[in-house]
Amino acid sequence: MTAIEDLRGFLDALDREGQLVRVGEPVDCEPDLAAAANAAARLGDKAPALYFTLVNGFTNARIVLNAHGSWPNHAIAMGMDRDTPVREQIQEFTRRWDDHPVAPVHRGDPPFLENVQEGPDVDLFRVLPLFRVNEGDGGFFLDKASVISRDPDHWDDTGRQNVGIYRLQVKGPNKLGLQPGTIHDIAHHLRIGEERGEDVPVAIAVGNDPVVSIVASAPIAYDQSEYEMAGALRGSPVTLAKGPLTGLDVPWGTEVLLEGVIEGRVREFEGPFGEFTGHYSGGRAMAVIRIDRISYRDDPVFEHLHLGRAWTEIDYLMGPATCVPLYQQLKEDFPEVVAVNAMYTHGLVAIVSVRPRQGGFARAVGLRAMTSRHGLGYCKVVIVVDEDVDPFDLPQVMWALSTKVNPDEDMVHLSNMSILPLDPSSSPVGVSGKVVIDATAPVAPDVRGRHAHPVRDHPDTDRWLRWLRERTKER
Amino acid sequence: MICPRCGDEGAATVAVSPVPGVWEVVLCSICHYTWRTTEPPRQSVRESFPEEFRITPEDIRDAVELPPVPPLRDEPR
Ligand SMILES: [Zn+2]
Repeated sequence: MTAIEDLRGFLDALDREGQLVRVGEPVDCEPDLAAAANAAARLGDKAPALYFTLVNGFTNARIVLNAHGSWPNHAIAMGMDRDTPVREQIQEFTRRWDDHPVAPVHRGDPPFLENVQEGPDVDLFRVLPLFRVNEGDGGFFLDKASVISRDPDHWDDTGRQNVGIYRLQVKGPNKLGLQPGTIHDIAHHLRIGEERGEDVPVAIAVGNDPVVSIVASAPIAYDQSEYEMAGALRGSPVTLAKGPLTGLDVPWGTEVLLEGVIEGRVREFEGPFGEFTGHYSGGRAMAVIRIDRISYRDDPVFEHLHLGRAWTEIDYLMGPATCVPLYQQLKEDFPEVVAVNAMYTHGLVAIVSVRPRQGGFARAVGLRAMTSRHGLGYCKVVIVVDEDVDPFDLPQVMWALSTKVNPDEDMVHLSNMSILPLDPSSSPVGVSGKVVIDATAPVAPDVRGRHAHPVRDHPDTDRWLRWLRERTKER
Repeated sequence: MICPRCGDEGAATVAVSPVPGVWEVVLCSICHYTWRTTEPPRQSVRESFPEEFRITPEDIRDAVELPPVPPLRDEPR
């Protein structure tokens, strides 16, 4: 497997596989760019990436949208065959996750040193072709950039160096608003810096190796390095360079590198912004970043993401990486867990398949999902199904819900549970009821219902399935 | 210029199109709303700006800090 080294390598790979549509016709910044990406999401789960090169008013804009926004694109990013079924993509993703850590390699002379703006010359608008994503957004945002920061109390501990995707509102030529959700690692770094009365150095990498973006959006543990995880998922070390201003480790091939500080003890009105929940959030006073240096490659490509009502690109970006930690934590306690699909709004809904040991087992697993690290703020609805139901095949899940669930007894309802504040249904904000739906067939000593005689797939189905796949491929 | 979102009259140009005369980007210093002059009236004209997205001085004054600014550490540095 040859890993993709940077965004340009990803675009080449997408192009070779027929998953890149070049839009050479002139388009308006608004509403064309976001509307086109919105439409790509509606094409279904095999949609291509969009590459715009003729944007009205710009002389040299290169904008890519929906780069991760389909299952073939996700497979290509991960170096898999483009037609790999979803469940197999997640299985392979999980297998590689266990290869963590794969240490990054450092290399000098990064291409982003080709161009530089410093101090009073810094102007985000001159480097990035910024545009509005949704009509109620408070401005132009960066929503697919990897933000790199360190723990100010442990500056030399790169294990505590965080790489995450956070929404950034462009508020001026050298100013960004930052939303650090309180559960996120960067909020921890900011709190320590602010307790010390200091600014917090930050680097923001726009346009990256596609696996870096996947890991940056993943809920991994605080003391795990995203770069070491990206190395594991790529199957080869990530190549890093030093940010020339901050010394932070940044992806070597990044298109545009912004460096500066989160200004300590400063808050300012931010948003709203149409979030991954498919709802606007905003109207709060958030942190502020001052950019002191921009480094960028010749003819930089602006990698950006449209998000709105699901599914959109962000669901493909976050989905697989959301499944894995939840799967691993459940598996540790319960080897009977077979698969986890937590891809719905970053795991607000999760589906877990199990081999139940005894009556009551499935609901115990469902409750455990809610007390996992990620489940604390997600897993509002956990559906537990039997091992012969593929949690990634929603019609199968609906069959289990249709025939295995007696709502009188198969719902475990909990009140006043913790949920991420962005959940629009939480009340008060950050608090919600949760429910486990036990859609497994009861096993002894639970003897409810009449589930003893399910119809099973014919033993020869697999052989015929392979034959049919080959046959339909030829056409 | 008048900010379509909060109505403040001090919004100023922060960027002009690299191709001269196509558009400008305007920023409001009060509510930080940013818009391009070529955007549809719902995003660029005060009278057409949707009621649901308008911002008042009270909204800005009462905005909750996220995350809250923590107390300084006691020890002097
Ligand atoms: Zn305003």
